[in-house]
Amino acid sequence: MQKKSLRIVHYLNQFFGGVGGEDKAHIEPQVIEGAVGPGMAVQNVLGEQGTVVATVICGDNTFAEKIEETAGEVLELIRPFQPDAVIAGPAFAAGRYGIACGAVCKAVQEQFSIPTATGMNEENPGMDLFREYTYIVKTPKTGIGMVDAVSKMVSIVTRLADGQRVGKPSEEGYFSRGLMTNDLSAQTGAERAVAMLLDKLKGKPFESEISLPQYDRVEPAPKIQDMGSATVALITDGGLVPTGNPDKIESVGATKFGAYSIEGVDGLHPDDYEVYHIGYDPIFVHEDPNRLVPVDVLRDLEKEGAIGKLHNKFYTTAGAVCIVENIRRIGQAIADELKAEGVSCAILTST
Amino acid sequence: MRLELEMVHIKGIQFSDRTEIVDGEIRINRDELQDLLEKDIRFSKVDLALARPGEDCRIVQVHDVIEPRAKTGGNGEDFPGALGKNRMAGQGSTRVLRGAAVVLSDCNEKGLYPTREPNGEIIDMIGPAAEQGIYGKTFNLVVMPRPADRVNPQDYRVALKIAGLKAAAYLAGADQDSTPDAVEVYELPSLNEPAQGLEHLPRVVYIFQMLSMQWEPIPGEPVLYGTNIEGIVPTILHPNEVLDGAVLNSYRSICMETYVIQNHPMIKELYRQHGKEIHFAGTIITTAHNNPPEFERTANIAANLAKWVLSADGAILTKAGGGAPEVTLSQTARRCEELGIKTTIALVPMTADVRDPRSEASIIFNMPELNAIVSMGNPSVAPLELPAVGKVIGRAVPMPNGSLISDAHVRRSAAIKGILCQMGSSKFKAVRY
Repeated sequence: MQKKSLRIVHYLNQFFGGVGGEDKAHIEPQVIEGAVGPGMAVQNVLGEQGTVVATVICGDNTFAEKIEETAGEVLELIRPFQPDAVIAGPAFAAGRYGIACGAVCKAVQEQFSIPTATGMNEENPGMDLFREYTYIVKTPKTGIGMVDAVSKMVSIVTRLADGQRVGKPSEEGYFSRGLMTNDLSAQTGAERAVAMLLDKLKGKPFESEISLPQYDRVEPAPKIQDMGSATVALITDGGLVPTGNPDKIESVGATKFGAYSIEGVDGLHPDDYEVYHIGYDPIFVHEDPNRLVPVDVLRDLEKEGAIGKLHNKFYTTAGAVCIVENIRRIGQAIADELKAEGVSCAILTST
Repeated sequence: MRLELEMVHIKGIQFSDRTEIVDGEIRINRDELQDLLEKDIRFSKVDLALARPGEDCRIVQVHDVIEPRAKTGGNGEDFPGALGKNRMAGQGSTRVLRGAAVVLSDCNEKGLYPTREPNGEIIDMIGPAAEQGIYGKTFNLVVMPRPADRVNPQDYRVALKIAGLKAAAYLAGADQDSTPDAVEVYELPSLNEPAQGLEHLPRVVYIFQMLSMQWEPIPGEPVLYGTNIEGIVPTILHPNEVLDGAVLNSYRSICMETYVIQNHPMIKELYRQHGKEIHFAGTIITTAHNNPPEFERTANIAANLAKWVLSADGAILTKAGGGAPEVTLSQTARRCEELGIKTTIALVPMTADVRDPRSEASIIFNMPELNAIVSMGNPSVAPLELPAVGKVIGRAVPMPNGSLISDAHVRRSAAIKGILCQMGSSKFKAVRY
C-alpha cells in the first residue's frame, strides 16, 4: 500500500523568501503556492514522500513587533492548504527569524496538532523560548548547514506524520525539548559501565551518559575593610526552621527560603527550632541549633566589637537535591534583601 | 578462593506442617519459625506473612530484603559475624533459594530518622511497581517483629536485621541435599599466583562504596562481618566475600538492599568478563564520609590500594547515598585518574529539573577527567501510578493527605524497593527528550 504523499507548508522570512533584505522586514504575511528558495531543498529531500504545497513568507520585523497576532495570521494562511506538517526556516543564528519560526511552529502544533520542525543555532534566542513546543534541529550559525538541517527537519516531521517515534536529541540532532524519562536500555547499568570502561581502556570512542555540569566562576566581592563596623548576616542551607516549619520549606528540592528574626536573642534555643532536610542526620543540630546557625558566637563577637552588628534575621533553606536554577533564584533573592538592609557580609553554613 | 552457589529455583511458597522445599515450593512451619525469631528478647512478638507475585497486596515499611541462603557441606557459617561465627565468607558452597526473598517490615512506631514517606518504602506484588521492581516477582516471606517495651529504636533495627538473616538461613537450610537446578562458580586467581594467560588483559578493580555517613550509623548494625563499618578506612575484600554474606546493606542507604548485594550486579558483570576482556583484580570497600577532610583521605587511601596493591589499570565506582557520597565518589575517581587508573562511574543522578530542558546539572561534580559516567535512572522522573490494593502487609499509617496507603496513589520510584539500584542491576537510563 502506497504511503500517503505528505502535504508540507514551509514558513520563510522575507530574505529567504526572496522578497528582499532588511528593507522588506516589515512585509505582512503572504502565501505563495509551491516551494520557494530553500523550499526547493525541502522538496528535494522529500522526494516522493511529499510535496511542499505552499510557502508562507513574512517580514522579521512584522513578526517581532506582534508575535501572537502575526502567528495567528500565518495560521490562517496555512489553514486552507490542510498540510500534514509544517516546516519553518531554518533560521540559523538570526534572532527575530528564530522567534518567528518558533512561534509559527508552536501555534501550528497547538491549533492544528500536526508535526512541526525548524532549525536554529544554539545561541538563537528563539531556541530556549520554543524548544519545548516543536523540534528545533541544531544548526551552525550560517547557511552552510542548510541541506543538513533541512534533511533532519524533513526526516523528523515525515516520521511523526507517519505515527513513528523520534529518537533521542543526541541521535537526531535536535535540542532537547523537556521531559526527562527513564528509558529502558537493552543492558543493565553494570553491563554498560563495564563496557564503557573497556572502551575507555582500549582508547576507543565512547559517550558518557551524563555530561558534566558547567559551573559559573563568580568574582568574589572585595573584602571588608573594617569588620568592626560591618553588619553580618547568617545564612544556612541546613534546613533549620522554627518548630512546625511555618513557611513549609520543602525538605527536598526546596523552592523557597525563610527569614526568621533573631532580634535581641543571644543564642538559638533547641525548643524553638527543628531541621527539615532529608540529606543528613539532624541529631546534633536538634541538640543545639547554634551548631548550624552560630548565633551565640556571633553575639559574643558583636559584644566584643569584633563585628559591628549581627543582622536581625537569619536566612534558611534546605539544600537537599535542589534544582540549580531554583537555588540560584533563592540566593539572588536573599542577596537582594541583604543589600537593601545594609548588610555587608554573610556567613553561610552548610552540612 | 572458589565459591559455588547452588541455585534452587522457587516457584511457590506456603505455610505448612513441616519446613521443607518440595519441587521448588517453600513450605514453612509457621510456628517453628515464629518461635525461633521470638527468642530474641528485643521483640514482643513476630508476625509472618506471605506475598506472592500477582497477589493484590502491598508491603509497607520495607527495611531490607534478603535472599534465603545457607552454607552447605558443614564447614561454613551463614552470614558470618552477624549470625554465624566469624569465618571467611566466599568459599565452599552455598545453597540459594532463587526466586524467593525475606522482606523485613519495620514495625516500630518510633521513626528513627525523618522520612518523607510515613509508610517508608513499599513493595507491590501487582501493577506497575511489581513489573518494574525486583521484589514483585519474588515469593516473599514478610517478617514483622514488634519491639518489646523499652527497646530503643536503634537496637530494634539491629534485631530486625538479625531476624531477617535467621529467617533467610532457616529457609535455605531446609534444603541441603537435593540436586540444585543450577550451580554458579566464582573463582579468581590470588594476587601472588602467576597471571596464567591473563597478562595481556587490563586489570580492573571495583570500588564499592558501601555506606553513607549522612546519617549516624546504627551502633551494632551488622554491615561487614557482623559489625558496622562507620568510618572504616578503605580496605580490600575478595569479591566472593561480598557475594557470600560478609556484606549486608546499611540502614538509610539509597536504592540498595542486601538482596542486591548478595547478587551484586557489578561484581557479577566483572566476573563475567574476567579472563575474556579483563582481569578482575579485586574489590575495595569504602565508606562515604560527611566532611571534606575525610572525603580526601578516603579518596587517597582507596586510590592507592587500587594502584599500588591491586595494580589497577581501570576502576569502576558506585555510591551508596546522596550528595556527600557523590563528592567522595568523584574525588576517589579523580585520584585514581591522577594515578593513571582509568575510571568509569555508574550512578543514579539525583538532581536536575526533570521537566525543564534548560536544567542541565544532574550530578554535582565536573572534573573533566571523569568523562565516563553511566546514568542509572533519575528518581524524580515519571513517578509510578500505583493502583489501589486489597491488602496491606505491615504497619500502615495514613498518608499526609489523609488517604490510605492501600489507595491508588502516585509514588516516586525511589520510594519503591527494587526499581532503582545504585549497584547497576536495573536497565534504566535517564534521557531527556
